[in-house]
Amino acid sequence: MNYAARVKNDIGRWRSRGWIDASAAERMTRDVEKRAARTLGFGAILAVLAAILFAAAILIFIAANWEAIAHLVRVAMLFMLIFAGYVGGAVLKSRGLDGAGEGAWIVAAAAFGGAIALIAQMYHLSGEEADAVFTWGAGVALAALVLRSPALTVVCVALSGVWLSFAIAEIDMRQPFGPAVGYPVVAAILWSLSLWTASRPSRHLLLLLLIYYGLLQYLRADDPAVAIAVAAVSVGYFVLCALRPRMAERLLAIGQARVHGLIGFGAAMMLLQLRFGDGTAFALLAFLTFAGAVAALVLGGRDSAPVRWLAYLLFAVELCVVYLATIGTMLGTAGFLLAAALLLAAIATVIFRFERRLRDEQNREGART
Amino acid sequence: MSRRARLIAGAVLVALVQIGFLAWIIAGRAAILRDGAEIRLTVEPVDPRDLLRGDYVRLTYNISTVQSALFDSGVLADHRGAGGERLCIGLDPDEDGIARAVSIRPANDAGRAAETGAVEICGKATGVWSGAQGRNLRLEYGIERFYLPEGEGRAIERDLGLRAFTVVVAVGADGQAQIKALYDGETKLYEEPLY
Repeated sequence: MNYAARVKNDIGRWRSRGWIDASAAERMTRDVEKRAARTLGFGAILAVLAAILFAAAILIFIAANWEAIAHLVRVAMLFMLIFAGYVGGAVLKSRGLDGAGEGAWIVAAAAFGGAIALIAQMYHLSGEEADAVFTWGAGVALAALVLRSPALTVVCVALSGVWLSFAIAEIDMRQPFGPAVGYPVVAAILWSLSLWTASRPSRHLLLLLLIYYGLLQYLRADDPAVAIAVAAVSVGYFVLCALRPRMAERLLAIGQARVHGLIGFGAAMMLLQLRFGDGTAFALLAFLTFAGAVAALVLGGRDSAPVRWLAYLLFAVELCVVYLATIGTMLGTAGFLLAAALLLAAIATVIFRFERRLRDEQNREGART
Repeated sequence: MSRRARLIAGAVLVALVQIGFLAWIIAGRAAILRDGAEIRLTVEPVDPRDLLRGDYVRLTYNISTVQSALFDSGVLADHRGAGGERLCIGLDPDEDGIARAVSIRPANDAGRAAETGAVEICGKATGVWSGAQGRNLRLEYGIERFYLPEGEGRAIERDLGLRAFTVVVAVGADGQAQIKALYDGETKLYEEPLY
């Protein structure tokens, strides 16, 4: 059940108990519905999805290198599409059709990328893909900046992820971490852009890409210290977000900030376990992963459904990993799981008592007022 | 200016900047094709499994690998050769009209530019290894792909292993190369228009 439906349920209950009168209930329900409608315009979402399909069609059409239309005609078509997309989108947006306007801008941004690919095709350029994607992303960033477009910001962040994937694979002996080592700088610039365009999804995607970046660097450097650093930073980030939620929201303006800490921790632990596979180090990692999932649940699961479900998922996956990889022998694994179960049961007892005492106190206070 | 006018002006600006940037690249490439010095290179078969990736054929050339005999001892003595440096190769046509590598210099070392006025092609060093005749240096000139209409790649890929293919390449004054035409023996398969 989503937030609006839940609040409406609650309002109905408060009304039936006589805590609020009919007119207040009516006004509250209308307010909730108005807010829900603003956050979820299906027309706008479908318009953007249509634009994405249209954009994909442009790109694959360029890739097909269809000879029936001369190169220059194809270039001219893309130039017109760029112009019509940006200007048409601005007209639509100024008339209040935000979804359609953003959609038109996405098509224009795709046409810009398609034109870069077409030029490479026309002149048989065999430069690095990473450079082409970087150029494309820089052009889209300019558009997002000038037009203050949240949708183009997301496109730009997604392109930065593609660039990262290409650039990380480049071999360059002078730089052990390759040209992608500058990704955090790119991410910082895009983060500022996302604040300017008020694009919250961009910031979520950027945090995920930073985790991806850390793990790619681990795979590239083949040094467990990098993955351990990713896990440690993720834990620190999670704890900070959970203990100081208001500060985190002011700094990051993202909502649900701590989810990313759990994702980073879980992914790094999985990769580390893959590396060690067996023995004491594996047992320690497995223990830490279980502990991390449980700690995340206790520390940040109460007011964040994504954290709760992700912690359950991490717990379940870790159980499968331990079960399949086995710690030493099957007998050893059984011992490990038994110890973990006893420990968890003990923690559960403590928390259970703590929660009951808290509830009793609240009930007593509720009875007094 | 109203908010609406500002938004539309911004959109026009973005569109013109992007289109202008693309047109500038096209103009630069067309200028190389039009004014660049023409050279001819032979295409060498690559490992056939890796030839065709998607909609282009991967090509290597007779000058994709140069031998240490060319390394003027001072120029590249301390050269590691695998760091992606830009290098320029001096070219001289042999009796069949195929360009052969005759000299080499770092691209930023203008003082060593070919005195003879020979055509120079510049590229990026991608690797170095030791062979029977001394050190070999591998270079990429940005002309290692030939894009084809969808579905036409397989036939060329097959024939590349059987017969000698050549390309005519235009080289700009700054050493930047660009494919002008692809030949199967004496038959011209594709010729690129300026635009």
